[in-house]
Amino acid sequence: MISIRFFRGFSAVLGLAGALLAATPAHAVPSFARQTGQECAACHIGAYGPQLTPYGTRFKIGGYTDSDGKSGKVPVSGMVVASFTHTAKDQPEKPADGYSKNDNFALDEASLFLAGKLADNIGSFVQLTYDGIGKSTALDQMDFRFARATEFQDKELTFGLSLNNNPGVQDPWNTMPVWGFPYVGTALGYGGPDAATLINGGLEQRVLGLSAYAFYDKSWYAELGTYRSLSTWSQGKIGLDKAEDPGKLHSGSAYWRLAYMQDLKSSAWSVGLFGLHADVQPDRHSGPSNSYNDMGVDAQYQFLGTREHIFTVQSSFIRERQGRDALFANEEATHSVGYLNEFKLNTSYNFRQTWGATLGYFSTIGSSDELVYADNIRQRPNTQGETLQLDWTPFGKEDSWGAPWANVRLGAQYTHFAKYNGASNNYDGTGRNASNNDTLFLFAWTTF
Amino acid sequence: MTRTDRHREKLIFGGGLTARIAFASATAILALGSTAAHAAGDVKAGGDAFATECAECHSLKQGKNKKGPSMFAVLGRKAASIEDFKYSEAMKSSGIVWTADQIDAYITLPKKAVPGGTMKFDGIADAKERADLIEYLSTVK
Repeated sequence: MISIRFFRGFSAVLGLAGALLAATPAHAVPSFARQTGQECAACHIGAYGPQLTPYGTRFKIGGYTDSDGKSGKVPVSGMVVASFTHTAKDQPEKPADGYSKNDNFALDEASLFLAGKLADNIGSFVQLTYDGIGKSTALDQMDFRFARATEFQDKELTFGLSLNNNPGVQDPWNTMPVWGFPYVGTALGYGGPDAATLINGGLEQRVLGLSAYAFYDKSWYAELGTYRSLSTWSQGKIGLDKAEDPGKLHSGSAYWRLAYMQDLKSSAWSVGLFGLHADVQPDRHSGPSNSYNDMGVDAQYQFLGTREHIFTVQSSFIRERQGRDALFANEEATHSVGYLNEFKLNTSYNFRQTWGATLGYFSTIGSSDELVYADNIRQRPNTQGETLQLDWTPFGKEDSWGAPWANVRLGAQYTHFAKYNGASNNYDGTGRNASNNDTLFLFAWTTF
Repeated sequence: MTRTDRHREKLIFGGGLTARIAFASATAILALGSTAAHAAGDVKAGGDAFATECAECHSLKQGKNKKGPSMFAVLGRKAASIEDFKYSEAMKSSGIVWTADQIDAYITLPKKAVPGGTMKFDGIADAKERADLIEYLSTVK
């Protein structure tokens, strides 16, 4: 998948993200196709990740271990993303060292994956990424899984474990933030709201978690897990910037997920609930903690038909309660409690698994705070807008060139902001309007 | 193939290689005849059904196996007969020859038709959809 990941660092755990964004692609790798003997389109809408078909959902729940039974498959893949970013008005500052305030070409990243079956019941999706913007290499998304299928009351029951480094990376639907639309985003422009909930990337790669799940009768899904923070030493060893350490997670953090899906072959739908609770101590040695309670609801519908015309709708709503004891004590918040709500509604159409169009609406609304949102003239994080993406995926089908070794997606993505950081106009007090951040992002994304 | 079918085979042809070839040929002819009996199916609708229900795991190309074996010229084929595909033991020992009737029974309830089989498919309940699908498969050869 390619999903927008924010440079959040410390501020991320406050529900704030850095102003600029970093792309962190992943998912949908040809080693899965080589392992199963199937084309990318079997598991992914539009023959490219990460949007999963019901078959792809079951493949992930099955621990990435399903195969065509043949041996000798090497679970290794690669990925490269290059892009051009243009914003409606020059950015106030250069988005990164070596780049201009506008109109930037970039090699966003190159990734190596260990993705596929490792043993009969063990599979992995592990990504090592070279960040072409930050010029650094680090462990990216990680999901080791154990899964075993059996029967209970004549119905299929799969139970498994996931060892991962990002709450939600193990989720098999595309409605939660980690794998949600847009699947690729600009690192040198504005791709979405500045503020984000904790489950929306606030802990990614900085934690290690273990969750247990069960999937019954190809419909009912339940998962429960917990996370521990990596030490700053460990974060440094896997290539992360220690300065962006979010802090220490107290024991008792909890991630949970309930979902129900129906695969009707010519269509599919799912509904679900999910949540994350974590107490984060910014000063690892002493002091109070900030407490985050995220709770979300999600749903999706896919019309699949004969796969010539595919139509999907996805939606999610997350409400976060922030207990800001540490912020309040450090005089970084005026209110000891705050709220942040994230809503997303995406719809897509795909023709012949090749031509795709996706329109997404996003809205992030939060309670005001003079200090937490000190840079926003309205002292609120409120951001609303739409993202339209048109893409072309010429390969990834049964008869495609290079199958199952090569795939590529070329796309154009335009994000319009009706409101940014609390206001439509002069949101930061310098006269900058939300629409000044409208961003055109052209990308070439290849996997092999 | 049922136990009765296998018993009948043995009675008619004995157990030798020649006899088996003769039986296979005869079965293929019967399969084609049986296909004709299912000619009520709609080929176009069957193609759509294949795309919706089967194509994720099965190719129609000769020699192209995905998670499931190629469906090229499946009618009349003996079960588990594609050499480079890894079948379940249950399928290997089923003795099935894919007549239209056998395909119909299999795709109605795969786990009932071949207990212990590994195809992850619940089956198609709609008889018309199955007939369409079989009709379509009969054209892929």
